[in-house]
Amino acid sequence: MEVLKEKVEEEEAAEREEAAERAERGEKTLRPVEVRREEAPLTQEALRDLEKKLSEILVPGKISISTKDTIDILKLPVSYQTNTPKEEHLLQVADNFSRQYSDLCPDRVPLFLHPVNECGLPKFVSTTLRPTLMPYPELYNWESCAQFVSDFLSMVPLPDPLKPPPFLYSPTTVLEQQKGNCFDFSTLLCSMLIGSGYDAYCVNGYGSQDICHMDLTREVCPLTLKPKEIVQQQEKAPAKKYAIKPPRDLSSKFEQEQEMKQQEQIKAEEERRLREEEERLLEAEKAKIDPLHGLRVHCWVLVLSGKREVPETFFIDPFTARSYSPQDDHFLGIESLWNHKNYWVNMQDCWNCCKDLVFDLGDPVRWEYLLLGTDKPHLSTTEEEDTGMNDDEDLDNLCKDDKDKSFDMPSSWVEQIDISPEAFETRCPNGKKVIQYKRAKLEKWAPYLNSNGLVCRLTTYEDAECTKTLEIKEWYQNREDMLERKQINKVTGLNIDYFKPGHPQALRVHSYKTMQPGMDRVMEFYETARVDGLIKREETPKTMTEYYQGRSDFLSYRHINFGPRVKKLVLNSAESNPRPVVKITEQFSRNPAKPADEDVAERVFLILDERIQLRYHCREDHITASKREFLRRTEVDSKGNKIIMTADMCVSFEVEPMEHTKKLLYQYEAMMQLKNEEKLSRHQAWESELEVLEILKLREEEEEAHTLTISIYDTKRNEKSKEYREAMERVMHEEHLRQVEAQLDYLAPFLAQLPPGEKLTRWQAVRLKDECLSDFKQRLIDKANLIQARFEKETQELQKKQQWYQENQVTLTTEDEDFYLSYCSQAMFRIRILEQRLNRHKELAPLKYLALEEKLYKDPRLVELLKVFA
Amino acid sequence: MNRLCNSMEPRVMDDDMLKLAVGEQGPREEAGQLAKQEGILFKDVLSLQLDFQNILRIDNLWQFENLRKLQLDNNLIERIEGLENLTHLVWLDLSFNNIEAIEGLDALVNLEDLSLFNNRITKIDSLDSLVKLQVLSLGNNQIGNMMNIIYLRRFKALRTLSLSGNPIAEAEDYKMFICAYLPDLVYLDFRRIDDHMKELAEMKHQYSIDELKHRENLIQARLEDEQARREELEEHKAAFVEHLNGSFLFDSMYAEDVEGSKLTCLPGVSELLEAYKDKFVIICLNIFEYGLKQQEKRKVELDTFNECIHEAIQENQEQGKHKIAKFEEKHLLSLSAIRDESELTKLEKKIVEYSGDITELFNVLMTLEMQLVEQLEETINMFERNIVDLVGLFIENVQSLMAQCRDLENHHHEKLLEISINTLEKIAKGEFDEDLPDDVRSLFVDKDTIVNAVGASHDIHLLKIDNREDELVTRINSWCTHLVDKIHKDEITRNHKRVKEINQYIDHMQNELDNLECSDLID
Repeated sequence: MEVLKEKVEEEEAAEREEAAERAERGEKTLRPVEVRREEAPLTQEALRDLEKKLSEILVPGKISISTKDTIDILKLPVSYQTNTPKEEHLLQVADNFSRQYSDLCPDRVPLFLHPVNECGLPKFVSTTLRPTLMPYPELYNWESCAQFVSDFLSMVPLPDPLKPPPFLYSPTTVLEQQKGNCFDFSTLLCSMLIGSGYDAYCVNGYGSQDICHMDLTREVCPLTLKPKEIVQQQEKAPAKKYAIKPPRDLSSKFEQEQEMKQQEQIKAEEERRLREEEERLLEAEKAKIDPLHGLRVHCWVLVLSGKREVPETFFIDPFTARSYSPQDDHFLGIESLWNHKNYWVNMQDCWNCCKDLVFDLGDPVRWEYLLLGTDKPHLSTTEEEDTGMNDDEDLDNLCKDDKDKSFDMPSSWVEQIDISPEAFETRCPNGKKVIQYKRAKLEKWAPYLNSNGLVCRLTTYEDAECTKTLEIKEWYQNREDMLERKQINKVTGLNIDYFKPGHPQALRVHSYKTMQPGMDRVMEFYETARVDGLIKREETPKTMTEYYQGRSDFLSYRHINFGPRVKKLVLNSAESNPRPVVKITEQFSRNPAKPADEDVAERVFLILDERIQLRYHCREDHITASKREFLRRTEVDSKGNKIIMTADMCVSFEVEPMEHTKKLLYQYEAMMQLKNEEKLSRHQAWESELEVLEILKLREEEEEAHTLTISIYDTKRNEKSKEYREAMERVMHEEHLRQVEAQLDYLAPFLAQLPPGEKLTRWQAVRLKDECLSDFKQRLIDKANLIQARFEKETQELQKKQQWYQENQVTLTTEDEDFYLSYCSQAMFRIRILEQRLNRHKELAPLKYLALEEKLYKDPRLVELLKVFA
Repeated sequence: MNRLCNSMEPRVMDDDMLKLAVGEQGPREEAGQLAKQEGILFKDVLSLQLDFQNILRIDNLWQFENLRKLQLDNNLIERIEGLENLTHLVWLDLSFNNIEAIEGLDALVNLEDLSLFNNRITKIDSLDSLVKLQVLSLGNNQIGNMMNIIYLRRFKALRTLSLSGNPIAEAEDYKMFICAYLPDLVYLDFRRIDDHMKELAEMKHQYSIDELKHRENLIQARLEDEQARREELEEHKAAFVEHLNGSFLFDSMYAEDVEGSKLTCLPGVSELLEAYKDKFVIICLNIFEYGLKQQEKRKVELDTFNECIHEAIQENQEQGKHKIAKFEEKHLLSLSAIRDESELTKLEKKIVEYSGDITELFNVLMTLEMQLVEQLEETINMFERNIVDLVGLFIENVQSLMAQCRDLENHHHEKLLEISINTLEKIAKGEFDEDLPDDVRSLFVDKDTIVNAVGASHDIHLLKIDNREDELVTRINSWCTHLVDKIHKDEITRNHKRVKEINQYIDHMQNELDNLECSDLID
């Protein structure tokens, strides 16, 4: 019955609301029609037309009701469905305030004070705020809070863009539905911000079209903005006392000036052109003027400076989670604002948007409050005296007279806001969200939603219509290959992959155009994770350059030039046919343990010329470095002997000529060593090529498999740990059962017969034991009898069946015969089992009996008393 | 000592033997042919093996300056000698010889591995300079005293020791003793010392080792103290105010002053002297502090100067390097171009062009250098002026302080004279009732004597003060001149070196070009 009644009530309420809505709407839209009705005689067509128009007008109202129907009101707690006396009182106060306000300021729109909640009950806006500190540390700061709210809810436009909505749902319902209008957004965000200690307020005011429609297409995506480079002006050290004077400048000053002037002119020209271009673009982008500019109602959040080290007052738009300064052009005016304690009406003029507003809520001239004494008085005393003389004085006193001075805002009727970890992780409704920016599109996904770990994608376009893609940036999470970000430039075709530390090949950045080996590519590595200290490897079709750091042989750079691949007649795969190496250049950093003249800075192996060039490091106070060039020719002298080494095979320039280096033996040994090293370097080059192939192969495999890692602490996703946990639980359960069994007291039924609490006498103990034993014996016998009985029954049945079979054998069908045979075999099986059980029981029964007897002798309750008999 | 070699003829280490050994142990195969062709200088040899040669005396090794490893085992050597030049020696093997005492190793500071196995050594000593010693083999010798082990404690790098076959190795406590006293040792008699053994040894000998350690620490602390004091004095000397932070000067004034000390026993003089001393010491302290402050100032000045000069030179070098690098890039290209060119006229043109480039490089480098020279000269002159000014100021102030000392002395002198004359008068009148020592009383015979005595004392004092002042002034002046001279000289050397370097480089380039020309013309 009650349900029915409520439904009726609800329908009535809906009807009432509809009517109210219609009445409200009538203010604007109906009037012209009525006027027309008076002027022109009513025709059928006009009537129909009118009806059509009216029905059109009502459409949004119906939609708002239909959304409401999805809420299951019955499940809501009592506080949602009733008003406490205090709340009632507050509503009265608010009504009173509202009346006086509309009397005093007839030209202003009615206040947004107590819209109905989801149960159709009027609730004061301040009590709809439910300050809650979220259990997630990520939601402690306003940026992340606002981002969460804007991600979590999907936006529903206001039923009437020019009026505040007639209803305001509780934040819990909004969270459940995952959608809401700007008032719902703001209420939720404000609750969270106040909960985490901010001085935050909901603001009812007017916003621009873009803000009200959550239209970001004219905004530049914040992700595309490059962080401003901090221009670090190297502070020039003051010239030291003995700093040398620069050489005299002998060039003409006049010429320099002329040159400068010319360049400046060119620069100015350039700048002017650029500016013009920019202006033209801006002009083109400027939106058409909004006819409803300044009338669109919006609700956002104001954060006042002071608490949580907020240095400056700012606005947060709950739709986009962006912060704006109060000077921003998007916010056109403020009607009122409220937090969980009080409600203030703006008495300042908003002709210049919010730019001139003073957010000093203690100032009763600028901000008319609803409840007295709940907030801090901001104003300094001298000003307060002045304001006492003000015209608004009566208005101040009006409400103060009406209510009790100690009247506080009742506590919130809303349940505690609760966000489940799953919902927190999924964030956006269904885990997906798309935002359109100016020449950019941002897509977000919840982690683990996409099987390849994609969580965010930013697509930038060349044109405003978003048809020509410029660049795609993708962010990944939880990838097993540690891929973090992928950047695809559609114009140049360049792909850049960024990796977090931990890739099996220590890859950090990989930029490439194709995955084909031997093409342009750059790989950067985490050099500390690699044994060879490789930082970067650049490849072009003809060269390979490697940069190293922190090697014990001080190698810092290796450049390899390849010749064209030799075509072999035998068909070989690409791997086994490495490109011939033409030239290897290696550079070394200074080895402090060696003198500079012996420390090679650069060595070049010209493999085709059989030439090796060495350049040594420069000495501390020198400007020239030693050089040496080995020409390796195997020649034969006039007698046919092989020439091992001649003086012209080594050309050297030494900064400080030394004796021992002139010796052929020294040069020969040096050359032999270099030959070996050349071999090693070539081998290295070959290995590098192989490694590139290997990495490419690995990358391809990873791209295909794209497995995601799951943290061992993630109990929901981690299958292995889940299985393990379940197994553990099962084991625990079994263990528990066994323990219960073990604790079964065989003496308990007999002890129960004796008076409780008394000590056993010997006689009693003996009797107890005997009883227990005889009982157990009886049970064993009973069990044996039971088995025996079953056995006999089975046998009898079988015999019956056999009899029946023999009697009817002739008339039986094959099916019956099959059935009979199967029955026989099963019966035989059963009989055999029963026989076995009986035998087993017979064997075990005495043992069990003896075991119990022993147990009884050892029982702590009887042991003392039975000792004598044992 | 019934070794086989005893029966053989002892040999002399002559040039032939060494050459043979070097030749045999030198490079092999192709390199060997080259070596034979060229001959090997003894100073290039790094390792030499001279075993089983019946050598009686180590000789003729002075040429092997760079020798790292020397093996002289299984010979008849009786004394360690002739190794003074082999300062780079790391490994020395003198096992199986007839050496009786360790000696002649003082020059081998780099020695890490020393083997004296199977000799006749009785005592471990004379190894003090071998601070890097890691391996010491002294097995099969005649070392009998356990206390030799304590001598080895000073070798912090010693890890391997062998002493088996010595009389001490027969002692039952031998291993324990060594482990306890040489805790850093890892191998003893070619066996690793296990940790358990170490612990046991440590426990057993704990008391004696602790005592030893305590003594060592005391000595160490004393050494450090001394070192610190010496350093402080050195610092004061650098400030030219050593021994002015106390009554040293005052004491020295009275040290040679016989009359002055005699006169102290006059009534009132000791009080006077006390006051005088106090004032004098205060002035000395003033001088001392002022000197330290000035020294600091001079140091800062010098540091700044050095830094600036260094920076300027560095920058200039960078420019030069840059120019050369740019030239070299071009040089490679033009060389190959010249090589590839076949037409004679074009070739000549290119060669001319190239030599023009070389000349230009020369000019550029020389201009840079001359520019630097000019700049440095200016800076050096400025520094010279400043430092001379500083020194002048210092001297002036010290002199004025010294003048105060002299004033004090004069004052004191007058007072003393007055007291003396008063005393003389009293004595003359017979009113003086105190006892005076005889030698003092002998001064008071007449006025001249006493005035002379007091005057002599005064003169000595003044002389001392003057001397100290003169010493200070001369020293600081000579320091200043030296410094300036050195800076000038350094700059000149630097300039010479740089010019030489540039010329050498340009010559080399030119040579290369000429060679190319020749070969081309021949082609």
